[in-house]
Amino acid sequence: MRGFLKTLFGDARHVGTVVVCVGAVVVVMHTPLAAAAGFLLPVALLAGAAYLARH
Amino acid sequence: MISAIVATFLTASVEWVEAYTILLAVALSIGWRRAAFAGVCALGALAVLTVAGTLGLAHVGNLLVLQFVVGFFLVLFGVRWLGKAIARRAGLKKLHDEAEEFAALRARADIFDKRAAWVIAFNGVLLEGLEVWLIVVALGVQTHHTAAAAGAALAAAAMVLAAGFWARGPLAKVPENTIKFTVGCGVLALGTFWVLEALGYAWPAGEFSILLLFGFNVAGGLAVARAFQTTLAA
Repeated sequence: MRGFLKTLFGDARHVGTVVVCVGAVVVVMHTPLAAAAGFLLPVALLAGAAYLARH
Repeated sequence: MISAIVATFLTASVEWVEAYTILLAVALSIGWRRAAFAGVCALGALAVLTVAGTLGLAHVGNLLVLQFVVGFFLVLFGVRWLGKAIARRAGLKKLHDEAEEFAALRARADIFDKRAAWVIAFNGVLLEGLEVWLIVVALGVQTHHTAAAAGAALAAAAMVLAAGFWARGPLAKVPENTIKFTVGCGVLALGTFWVLEALGYAWPAGEFSILLLFGFNVAGGLAVARAFQTTLAA
């Protein structure tokens, strides 16, 4: 089961990175900066991909 | 819909190439008939999973929740593939080598045992196909074209089999990392678009934003890989 989930969604570091990025944007969407979410999420996810590439 | 079919076809091509290497290694031990049967059984299991996944997601009544869930899965998938492709492009991770993979499989002691080899083939195709399943279900449900997405995955399987038959060996010349990089950027763009739209964000350029996001991911991914290369060289 663990292999199945890891194949589909990656390891804990990977899932955690995406959860942090999306979670941050969910918070931003509830602030006056919501209009910036369209720029924030792509940049955050690219940074996440770069982080995962290094680790 | 076109982007969903192209993304599915490319994803499936990469995964089926890896599955073909496993099938070929097994077939040389237990024969093509048994190896092909294991592959067909795995495809059958994936078909059942596709129907179950599609029906499960179709029962999500709230369309925004469905869009968020699908978008989140696509982001998970896209970030992983893009991260791997950046690492390989930058030289941080070894490129996937089908010939090496094939040699390692042929060196396994249990590959000559009929039952064990059958299981290796079945598990191999099933595991490689799981990511195809995720893409088919996620993109299919969101675009309402699951059958077309599944067709694209099967077309990719037919193409890989034909190429394998022609090459009579592992498909080592497939530009796997370039395809993974492109698919990662594309799937990440679709996932980002749907996640934010589900959260109530109005994309200024509408669906054209998907193309802009794809361009951003490609340019950003290449820039990050180059930055890592420079750091490694220094």
